[in-house]
Amino acid sequence: MRNDVRERRTAKGLSQGDLARRLDVSRQTINSIETDRYTPSLPLAIAIARFFGVTVEEIFHADHI
Amino acid sequence: MQTTSRTSRKYLATPIFGVLMGLVYLVAFSIGGSPLNGVIGLAVMVVFSGALLAVRGRIETVRGLLDHRDERISAIDLRATAVTALAMIAVVLVAFVVEIARGHSGWPYDMIGAVGGLTYLVAVIVLRIRG
Repeated sequence: MRNDVRERRTAKGLSQGDLARRLDVSRQTINSIETDRYTPSLPLAIAIARFFGVTVEEIFHADHI
Repeated sequence: MQTTSRTSRKYLATPIFGVLMGLVYLVAFSIGGSPLNGVIGLAVMVVFSGALLAVRGRIETVRGLLDHRDERISAIDLRATAVTALAMIAVVLVAFVVEIARGHSGWPYDMIGAVGGLTYLVAVIVLRIRG
C-alpha cells in the first residue's frame, strides 16, 4: 500500500528514529512502512495519521480498492 | 496506537523463563544422577538470558521480540513460530512413521502428535469464538 509517510516525516524534519519513538514502534517498522514492505495495522495507521494531523486516507493510498 | 506501558517489564519474561528452565534442568539432571550436566545446562541458559538482555538495547529486533511493543516484529515472531511449529510437526510425523515401520508402538511421537493436533483444534475454536 503506497503512503506518504516519508514525505510528511521529512517535511517535519524528523528522522525515522524520531518518528519511531513518537509512535512507540521500531525504526525498522517506520522504514518498512515507508518502503511499502509493511502495511501497518489499523490502530498504527490511525496513530500515524493523527501524528501528521491528517486522515488515514490522506496518507495511505489503497490503489486496488 | 501502542497500548503497552513504557515502564512495562514484559521484556524480562523470556530471560526469566530461560533462567527458570536452567534451574529445572539442574534439578532434573541432579535427580537423574548427573548434576554436572545440570550445572552446564543452567550456565547455558543464564548466559543465553544474559545475552538477550545485553543486546536488547542495541538490536531493535531483539528488543521487539522481548517486549512485543512493535507490531511488525510481533508479527514476524508469530510467523517464525508458525514455521518452527511446521518443522516440529514434520519431525514428529517422520519419527512416528519410522517408529511404526520398525515395529514399535510409535511412542512418544503418537502422544506428541495428538497433543499438537488437539491444541490446534482448541486454539482454532477459542480464537474463532473470541472473534
